[in-house]
Amino acid sequence: MNLIRTELRKIIHYPTFWTIMAIYVLLQVLLIYFSSNLMVSGQSLGKSLYDFPNIWMRFSYIAYFFNLLLGILLIVLITDEYSFRTLRQQVIDGRSRAEAVLAKFYVTLGLAAAGTVFLLAMGLLFGLIYSTNTSIEAIFSKIDYLSYFFVQAVGYMCLAMFFAFLIRKSGLAIIAFLAWSKIVEPIIHYQMDDRIDRFMPMKVFGSLTPTPGQELIDGLTSPTMALSPGWAVLPALVYIALLVFGSILLVRLRDL
Amino acid sequence: MATVLYLDELSKNYGSLKAVDRLSLEVEAGSIYGLLGPNGSGKTTTLGMVLDVIRPSNGSFLWFGRSISKETKLRVGALLETPNFYPYLTAKANLQVVADTKQANHRHINKMLDMVGLGTRSHTTFKGFSLGMKQRLALAAAMLNDPEVLVLDEPTNGLDPQGIAEVRDLITRIAAQGKTILLASHLLDEVEKVCTHVAVLQSGKLKANGPVGNILSAKDQLLISAEELPPVLQLLERLPYVVQFAQEKSYISLTLSEGYTSTDLNRDMFAQGIVLSQILVRRKSLEAQFLEITQK
Repeated sequence: MNLIRTELRKIIHYPTFWTIMAIYVLLQVLLIYFSSNLMVSGQSLGKSLYDFPNIWMRFSYIAYFFNLLLGILLIVLITDEYSFRTLRQQVIDGRSRAEAVLAKFYVTLGLAAAGTVFLLAMGLLFGLIYSTNTSIEAIFSKIDYLSYFFVQAVGYMCLAMFFAFLIRKSGLAIIAFLAWSKIVEPIIHYQMDDRIDRFMPMKVFGSLTPTPGQELIDGLTSPTMALSPGWAVLPALVYIALLVFGSILLVRLRDL
Repeated sequence: MATVLYLDELSKNYGSLKAVDRLSLEVEAGSIYGLLGPNGSGKTTTLGMVLDVIRPSNGSFLWFGRSISKETKLRVGALLETPNFYPYLTAKANLQVVADTKQANHRHINKMLDMVGLGTRSHTTFKGFSLGMKQRLALAAAMLNDPEVLVLDEPTNGLDPQGIAEVRDLITRIAAQGKTILLASHLLDEVEKVCTHVAVLQSGKLKANGPVGNILSAKDQLLISAEELPPVLQLLERLPYVVQFAQEKSYISLTLSEGYTSTDLNRDMFAQGIVLSQILVRRKSLEAQFLEITQK
């Protein structure tokens, strides 16, 4: 509890934090609002995008892209502690290194929870306005996609956390995080058998929020080997645990 | 006296560079222990190791007779290198973060801010502070939970004369409360003025340590001159209480062993029919002594 309270003290008066959160909310609202104009197979998705219960799957897929922003925010928060030398001071003052990492893991959980609640609010708002079916059953039948999104957001931020503790400089850590998630790992995927690469971290995290209409695409081409969201949860949790443990190890083994 | 900090052959290597080389020390309770040495002599590295932020390559250290833990850390307040705070938080908010970590009573925050003279600036953000104010805030943070030991790394570095005087005054006041202080400094007169014990470091090696009076005892130096120097030199060789002497241009510099003064010298010279034209007593500079120690 003490750790969480301290992290809140640091965040609450930090303009950079609120700026990035504002960008996160604003961009996501814009994308959600305008994605109904998207053209798929020559016809506009239209307001059917907001139909319960598939809205949860679609919105969590949209939110998936913004996990990068949450990751960058976490990198900023962690590398700040190095450039202000406050991580060092806190270890001098009585924190253990593991506690320093755990504190940031709690921030990760908090941010993922905030992102999930935001998604829930957006889903209810757009769904209740535009959905043709607003029965309780329709609203809640696929709401489990929100929990998959939560796990995914935690996973992305834990990867960002690992790079932040590894590199300690904000610019380089952000580049490494983006390069790994968007370039390096996708290249590795190409070189590997689909049955194996579906267990790679970014692929596992991605599988938690499948592309809407994947069934349609599968009908046209060969079916994807990707894990179903339910099956991806376990390997995702394993990766999260490894990344947290790896971060603790990094901080333990090096000088501050 | 109880030992507060014990270093046993503590070493830190950066590649082939030995930043700290088998350093053994003992700091006793109630002392003001100065770690003296030029820049780059390993003072900060040593403090970093005993404060748990730099991993020793070899050797060990004990705080209060046991290995470092949360419990020992809470008994030590420390300021290493620079004041480390969140620039966008106010002085008070920064101390709240510190108080969380140190499990200190939050009611002490205002009291400490007043003590270091920042009471009226508690709502200014840290980045708006002058260097002296930052340093004083760091002292307030170090003392927040009233620790038994204070570790201060170059506490007057970068301060103007008034700031230096204030910080030194603060240190002496804290020491008067019976606290143990470990102070790293490259300023000789600072160590001489403030400390009871000193360890001299150079290139990571311990050159000398002990009570300040023994290590930095300023022995008087005499400068004498006479019309004719050769007879003076001959006599000096025979006087048992002359520790050393050397001719420098038109005068001779010499040091006497403990208990003898210029009066003794003058009397013996006169007894031998030598009249000195000049006797000058000069306190040997700390710098000269320091060079002597480090060049041993």
